[in-house]
Amino acid sequence: MPEFLLTFYDVFKNTYKGFLQAGLLTIEITAIAIVIGTVLGVIFALMKISNSKVLQTIANLYITLIRGTPLIVQIMFLYFGITSIIVLDNFWAGAIALGVHNGAYIAEIFRGSIQGIDKGQREASLALGMNSSLTMRRIVFPQALRRAIPPLGNQFIITLKDSSLVYVIGVSELFGLANRVAASNFKQFETFLVVGLYYLILVLIFSALLKWYENKLDVDK
Amino acid sequence: MIKAENIHKSFGDLNVLNGIDMEVRRGEVVVLIGVSGSGKSTFLRCLNFLELTNEGVITIDGKQVNQKKDNLAKIRAEVGMVFQHFNLFPHKTVLENVMEAPLMVKKMDKVQVKKMAHEILQKVGLSEKAEVYPNKLSGGQKQRVAIARALAMQPKVLLFDEPTSALDPELVGEVLQVMQNLAEEGMTMIVVTHEMKFAKNVADRVIMLDEGVIIEDSDPDTFFNRSTNERTLQFLEMVDV
Repeated sequence: MPEFLLTFYDVFKNTYKGFLQAGLLTIEITAIAIVIGTVLGVIFALMKISNSKVLQTIANLYITLIRGTPLIVQIMFLYFGITSIIVLDNFWAGAIALGVHNGAYIAEIFRGSIQGIDKGQREASLALGMNSSLTMRRIVFPQALRRAIPPLGNQFIITLKDSSLVYVIGVSELFGLANRVAASNFKQFETFLVVGLYYLILVLIFSALLKWYENKLDVDK
Repeated sequence: MIKAENIHKSFGDLNVLNGIDMEVRRGEVVVLIGVSGSGKSTFLRCLNFLELTNEGVITIDGKQVNQKKDNLAKIRAEVGMVFQHFNLFPHKTVLENVMEAPLMVKKMDKVQVKKMAHEILQKVGLSEKAEVYPNKLSGGQKQRVAIARALAMQPKVLLFDEPTSALDPELVGEVLQVMQNLAEEGMTMIVVTHEMKFAKNVADRVIMLDEGVIIEDSDPDTFFNRSTNERTLQFLEMVDV
C-alpha cells in the first residue's frame, strides 16, 4: 500500500470516534438552523408579498442585510452580540446565526414559488368564498411548497456545509474538530481529506432523503 | 336577484366598462356575447368582485356587494363561478376539490359534505373519477368538475366565464349539456360564451356588449332573427349561427 493511503487510514482509525460525535453536532446545528430558517423564511416571504408597505420594508431590509454580508461576519456579530445580552453557549449562538442567515434565502425561495402559482388558483378559491388566509393556507401554499422543494433542498445542503463556519466561535463540529486534529497530528492533508469525506457522505444521505420526499409529494406519478 | 347599476371599470387609461345597467331575475339564464375586448368577461368578474369596479353598485339577492372582506367572502360563497381554464386545485383529488369550500367556508359536517359531493359528481357524470387528480382528466371532465365544485356551495347564481373556450371541439358538448340541465332545473345563470347554439336554445335573454356598454338586450328569438341593431347584425354575420 502506498505511504499516503497508510497515513490516511491511520488518521481515519485514530479519529473516527471523535468525528462521529462531531458529525452528530454538525447534524444538530444544521437541523436547528433549517427549522429556524424555514420558519423565518415563511414569515418573511409572506411579509414580502403582503399589501403592507411596512412589512415589505422590514422583510426587504432583513433580506438585503443578510445577503449583503458574509455568513462568517454574521456568526461573529450574533455570537458577540447575543452573548453580551443573554447567556448562550456557542452551539446555540452558531445554530441561531446559521438559521437567521438561511431565513433570508429561504424567504426568497418561498416568495418565488408562491408568486409562481397561477393566479387562477387564487381567484377560484376566492370565488368559492374562501378568504385570503384560507386561500393561502389551503390552496396556494401547499402548491408553492411542492414547487419550493428542489430549491429548498439545495439550500439545506448549503446550510449543512455552511455549518462548518461556526468553528470560528469554537464549536467542535466536524470542521472545528478537523482543525484541532490537524494542529496536533500535523497530517493536514489526510485530516482534511477525512473530514471532506464525512461531509460528502452526509450530503449524499441528505440528498437521497430529499429526493425521496420530492417523489412522495409528486401527484403527477 | 342580481342588479348592476352604472358599472364602470378601467385598467389604467383603458376604459373597459362604460356604465352597465343590468338586472337578472331568479331562474333566468342570461348569455353575454360580444367581440373580444367588449368587456363581457370583465363585467362578469366585477359581479363577484374579482375585479374591483371604479364606479357603480352591485346588489346580489338584496345585499349590496362592497369591498369589506367579510361581506365579500359571504357574497362570493353564494355566487358560483366557472372559469375558462377550469382552475381546479391540482393538489387535491376531484372529490377534495368539490368538498373544499363547503368544509372550509360553510364548516359543514365532513360525512354530509362527502355524501353531497358524490351526489353532485354523479349529476355531472363523474362519480367514477372521485378519487382521481385533475391532471388525469380531459378538458371536458375538468370543466364538469369545476361546475360540480361551484355547485357544492349551493350558489344562488352561477357565473360562467367562457366555459368551453379552452376545450377541444369534441368536448364542448358534454359541458354544455351539464349547463343545459342546470338551466332546466331553474339555476340562475349568467354565461359569457361564443356558443351561439347554447344562446339560442337555452338562454332566456341574450345581452350584447360592445365597447363596454350594452347595445342589445332581448330574447334569443328576437336577437337572432329580428334584430335591427347594426352592430348585432355585423356580429351575427361574423359568427357561425
